[in-house]
Amino acid sequence: MRCLVLLTLLLCCWPAGEALADTEYRGEQSLWQDTVWNDRVLVDGILTIPAGVTLEIRPGTEVRFTRRDTNGDGIGENEIFIQGALRVFGTAELPVRFTSAEADPVPGDWGAINMMASEEENLLEHCLVEYGYRGFHAHFANASLKNSIFTRNQRGLQFQESTVVIDGCLIENNFNGMQFRNSKVRLGATRVLNNHWGIRCVYSELAMRDCQVAGNLINGLNLRDSTLDGETLQVTGNRKGVYLQRSRGTLRGSRIRDNSEHGIFLEDSEFLVTGNLIAGNGRSGVRWKDSTGKLRDNLLAGNGEYALVNEGEGPVDARSNWWGTTEAKALGALIRDGADLAGRGLVDAGDFLTVPPSLPLGRSAVNPVADPVEMN
Amino acid sequence: MDLKLKRGLLFLLGGLLVACAPLPRNPGADDLAHMRILSGVMSGRTVLGGEVYMPGDALIPSGSSLRLRPGTIVYVQPAESTKIDPEYLSSATELLIRGTLWIDGTARHPVRFIPLSRSVAGEPAWAGITLVDSVGSRIDQARIEYAETAILAIGSSPEIRGNQLRNNRYGIIAQQGSFPLISNNVVEHGEAGIFCWLGSSPQLIDNRVADHVEEGIFIDASSRPLLQDNQVTGNDLGLVLYDRRLAGNLSGVSGNREDLRLLTPDREQSP
Repeated sequence: MRCLVLLTLLLCCWPAGEALADTEYRGEQSLWQDTVWNDRVLVDGILTIPAGVTLEIRPGTEVRFTRRDTNGDGIGENEIFIQGALRVFGTAELPVRFTSAEADPVPGDWGAINMMASEEENLLEHCLVEYGYRGFHAHFANASLKNSIFTRNQRGLQFQESTVVIDGCLIENNFNGMQFRNSKVRLGATRVLNNHWGIRCVYSELAMRDCQVAGNLINGLNLRDSTLDGETLQVTGNRKGVYLQRSRGTLRGSRIRDNSEHGIFLEDSEFLVTGNLIAGNGRSGVRWKDSTGKLRDNLLAGNGEYALVNEGEGPVDARSNWWGTTEAKALGALIRDGADLAGRGLVDAGDFLTVPPSLPLGRSAVNPVADPVEMN
Repeated sequence: MDLKLKRGLLFLLGGLLVACAPLPRNPGADDLAHMRILSGVMSGRTVLGGEVYMPGDALIPSGSSLRLRPGTIVYVQPAESTKIDPEYLSSATELLIRGTLWIDGTARHPVRFIPLSRSVAGEPAWAGITLVDSVGSRIDQARIEYAETAILAIGSSPEIRGNQLRNNRYGIIAQQGSFPLISNNVVEHGEAGIFCWLGSSPQLIDNRVADHVEEGIFIDASSRPLLQDNQVTGNDLGLVLYDRRLAGNLSGVSGNREDLRLLTPDREQSP
């Protein structure tokens, strides 16, 4: 009897809303008050964080999701659905892990860290997110993702109508890396590696600094009807490197190299390309189709078939670049334009540089982006 | 009879057989409503024949299979507009195989993929067939037109034989460790014919790759295909590759604006 009284007293003194270890949520449930997780949590259903409620997850927590696929489409449905606020405070030493509870996990075992109309300052810091359908998903939400890893998801990250800041993250080995629309996104010191699509967006504003986009099998970075402000990027070893469709923006101080198809491909876009290294790309360094803008002070050398292809009818302003040669005939062979094919516009490659430019390649373009937190 | 003459007669015979086959009619909405559907996630073993309607993306997941019987006609519905959030890899309608695909066409009864409408300005009407980590797939005697890439193999090694791939942006792409057998195909009238990318090693045997605006066959620096007895003609660049030794006998590479383009591996370009 004395033990029972002590236990009752202990439970009464436990901080309000703080969950016990091995907390389980089964079926459809909601958290009705601010809650803190700090150990192991099993989600066997859909857990909603309603508006006005905050879920805080502390260092070292492991959140596991069981697989439930009621319609047989191969996509797990269990997830956390956030309309309130999510604050995940992993640390380098004690990251927070979101993973599958299955013994033999596969991408898509569970749904997503799913934010809907969550305009609080959501934060995920030092997390590992794996085996989800969409590791992180947001709709009409604000979020900041820092020093986190998204891997082995069907889609690493996806959001719409959201404002998202991503800093120091690794998005690797997902089926597709990251896709978003109607969003404002700032990417810093983040690596997007070895997905099918690296980054794909429409109707969005994307600012990128010191990022690496490499080894993606379809496109590295694709924008449609969007704006890119890119600086000191490494876009390497993808099929296409940077692919803009009906978009605009600038790219500065970046390495665009060893992409199998085109380093930069512009369609109906307006783009300023200055001070970049564009080399070793298979079909062409730059393919320019019905676009406007300028290529200035770039090092455009050592690409496969052509340094620059003008596929459109208009002219291309490509003055003041280094082409790896100053010999007119050799330079002409590097450019495919109206001089080769009727109906195509001409490339103005005048005032070409006679020595390679001193490129303002930034830290990440010279040195790999520092590794984010390593997690087991 | 010499080998070239035999091959020519075989192409001619194949062409005659196809010409004799009844041409598919243009189906109306009522017709489509009564057809078997190829769309969504199709788990398990699916066998389709006759006329099939593909109204949207279709996925054959890992461990599942799709068999298309001889003479199957797949009517592909192009995406009404470019999808904002593509389900899989393409913004256009796609057939994605992560399990196994068997297309069992014959010369007399090929399997046809027919887009129900053509997009404007020469843009592809659909994505085509994509195989990702597919095991044991086989594509025999298919007719694929107006696709972004008629057949895209990523980490997959299907047998691709006797197909006619015309008016696609790209005919066949093998990439990322794919080593498909690609033989006796006709790949014509696109932007480019066959690409070997990112460490792929297909066997390219007895194909006709013709009349592309750009490359006939492109082999990147990391790929090691086997090329044998291919006819590469009428392209802007016939054969593009880094390692001349991979080209083998060039007797079938002729009549291109430039038959052979040897690329130089990029040495580190230092600023």
